[in-house]
Amino acid sequence: MTATTVGPADGSGSRDTAASPGRPSAVTAKDLARSAAVRRRKSARLKIWVGSVGVALVVLPVALANLLPIPGPDEQSLSLRRLPPLTGGHLFGTDQLGRDLLSRVLHGGQVSLTVGVLAIIVSGVIGLIAGAAAGFFGGWVDTVVSRLLEAQLSLPLLLMLLLVVALFGPSIPVITFVIAFAQWPEVARLTRSLVLVEREKPYVAAARVLGLHRVTTLLRHVLPNVVKQASLVILLLLAQAVLLESALSYLGAGPQRPFATWGRIIADGQDYITTSWWLVTLPGLVIVLLVVGVNLLGDGLRDRARRRKGPQTEGKVSRA
Amino acid sequence: MTLSPLAACAGPGSAPGVGAGSGAAAGSGITLALNRSLVSLDNKLNQFDAAVTVQRGVRQALTFIDPKLTVQHVLAERFELTAPTEWTVKLRDGVRYSDGSPVTVEDVATALRMYQKVPGSFLAGLFPEWPTVTPVDAATFKLVTKHPVPTLDYLMANILITPAAANKPEELQGGVGSGPYVVTAANRGTGEYTLQVNDKYWGPAPAIKTVQVRFLPEEANRVVALRSGEVDVIDAISPDAISQLSGLGDVEVQQVPSTRITQLFYNFRKPAGHPLADPRVREALSYAINGPALIKDVFADSVSPARGVVADTLTGAVQTGEYVYDPQKAKQMLDAAGVKDLKIKIIWETGEFANDTSVMEAVVEMLKAVGVQAELQQFQPGGDISKWRQGRGGDWDVLGNGYPGPTGLALTPLQGMFAGTKEKEATRDTYQGYVFPKIAALLEKASQETDKAVRESVLATAQKEIWNTWPCMWAFVPKTVIARRKRVENVLLSPTNSYELASVRLNG
Repeated sequence: MTATTVGPADGSGSRDTAASPGRPSAVTAKDLARSAAVRRRKSARLKIWVGSVGVALVVLPVALANLLPIPGPDEQSLSLRRLPPLTGGHLFGTDQLGRDLLSRVLHGGQVSLTVGVLAIIVSGVIGLIAGAAAGFFGGWVDTVVSRLLEAQLSLPLLLMLLLVVALFGPSIPVITFVIAFAQWPEVARLTRSLVLVEREKPYVAAARVLGLHRVTTLLRHVLPNVVKQASLVILLLLAQAVLLESALSYLGAGPQRPFATWGRIIADGQDYITTSWWLVTLPGLVIVLLVVGVNLLGDGLRDRARRRKGPQTEGKVSRA
Repeated sequence: MTLSPLAACAGPGSAPGVGAGSGAAAGSGITLALNRSLVSLDNKLNQFDAAVTVQRGVRQALTFIDPKLTVQHVLAERFELTAPTEWTVKLRDGVRYSDGSPVTVEDVATALRMYQKVPGSFLAGLFPEWPTVTPVDAATFKLVTKHPVPTLDYLMANILITPAAANKPEELQGGVGSGPYVVTAANRGTGEYTLQVNDKYWGPAPAIKTVQVRFLPEEANRVVALRSGEVDVIDAISPDAISQLSGLGDVEVQQVPSTRITQLFYNFRKPAGHPLADPRVREALSYAINGPALIKDVFADSVSPARGVVADTLTGAVQTGEYVYDPQKAKQMLDAAGVKDLKIKIIWETGEFANDTSVMEAVVEMLKAVGVQAELQQFQPGGDISKWRQGRGGDWDVLGNGYPGPTGLALTPLQGMFAGTKEKEATRDTYQGYVFPKIAALLEKASQETDKAVRESVLATAQKEIWNTWPCMWAFVPKTVIARRKRVENVLLSPTNSYELASVRLNG
């Protein structure tokens, strides 16, 4: 049947087959448009777009908060406390001390996002190195890293974070470090499994035959082939890192006052939830928008990367 | 239950309508939600105001300070000043513990020894000197001091009596008491306790059979729990919560003037040459605080400005001055004192007073307006703020703290806060390092003066002297507020922020 000659299941070759005017096929363009592969591609594209918009809606104002014509996050006017949104020039209203809530949310986002980004960079680097070493070298290195992973994954995450913050004090470096520490196992586990696959490929054997040192092989040839997929997981961890930072702040283990952080703004606002809904709802919506946006973006990019994985891998092998 | 006629009209349980037959809802229980964790049912180290209600439900003292701030006799039938340095006390007939054993003179002597021995005792600062017990007969004894302590009957209201053999120089987690309730379950970690009525109680039987105590540190949780009927009484309510609860048909908010003063108290352990060691700087900073705005907007007029160094509801308190908001004057005085780019650290414990975080964040901005950079350090309940307060945890400049007036007398908090000496400071037993020998001498004189008029005159002089040292950046007197479901009745809330559990009744 001609239909079985249509390209790979991921749809990467389907356009050539159906679109070639010289090759007869019962598969029409309409059929292709309805195929699962195309649906997945469209879905990935949609996720990337929606995710990008969601992330941009939060990240851009947060990044530009100092340039926007809004009051400072700590500028208070006690007589203007708890103004509803769109009142007196305050888009998000004011909080319990008459501070502009939008400004608090945007500047709080700077703290939350900085902590989140720093945390995933640190956890990404640690996870990549540890996972790659475990997967490539095997033996006792793998045993040590794997046991550490399992040990940490068996611990209740939030309680462990609270314990560390209680021991070392709630400063931004400590919070960044504990979140990074909490997240490295996911990156390491994925990197290890990717490297386990890569190290069995011919280009690694070729590198060995050519006399390359094992570390050089790992750094120059294996890691570049896994870093893209691992970095997508790291991106997804950003949402988790922001949520963790917010949770710690909400529980009183965030940076000291008067730093505004998303978790603290919500924690402070919950006392007024029945009389001033916006103090909790609006910062909560901002967190939701960012987390959903990052997740959609990460999902979309991962889906796209999966489709392109085959040809890309081949290219890197030929370079090796 | 066999009761002597006097026992039937003793302090606790003497509330109108309370008696063995008044149990309108016998078999029913109530649940109290506290904003701070009740880590023990003993007050040797842990006497925040709301804890007193529960602690006195289990253990009792010789005397009791009633809602009118006068002394009532509880375990003591007689408590009289029989000589300048000698009080004669007679234990009430028939008073006994929940295990049926009688309260003895030895128990009182042991309790006093244990309160003295416990390190970091809250009460040590209230007593100008500890009395010694001299037994006269099986039920009568003398409390003897080296110097006159004319307010000993008030002070002894804080010494809870426990059987001598079970008493230790530490917080007691359970055990036997003479109060109307016994502890049947306790979890110090979660701050949850279950009290059941003491079947062997020597006084009138309480109407409420079971009292559950819970620790709900978040105000929003307490308010929601009260609204939903999960708990029956909550304390430490902010003005915003009061406004939320006021319109509810089945909830009643109860307020009385308080004997507590809440202060932004300076650290007096600063070395000479430090800006805060200069009273002009301390005074200057007080002008930066917009007290009227804080009271009107943050507290919604539920507190009053302090006009002295202790709450003006206390007997013997005098007005010594007012905190004035004048940022221009603050800047001028700081300039005149040669202070530039001052940085200070403010510490406090979460829940120390209502709207604590709002006040602290507002204060930071007010100080910034006069060129002072303030850093906040917030401690969670159960944290190590006490170590910091003693100067053993880290350096700080201003402490957000409330100080109670547990006896209803101005002398007691004055003694506790301002009578520090070099000897006490050596063991860090002064109030934030406040040591002024002249003031300590005045307070000592007042504490020993048996003539009330002379005592109050000396006390007034001492308070003016204290005010002139500018011990606080700002202070206010909060109201004692609880909210309860209307089915809970006869809650005789005292200015000391406690009430007798035995008096409480249930309607329906």
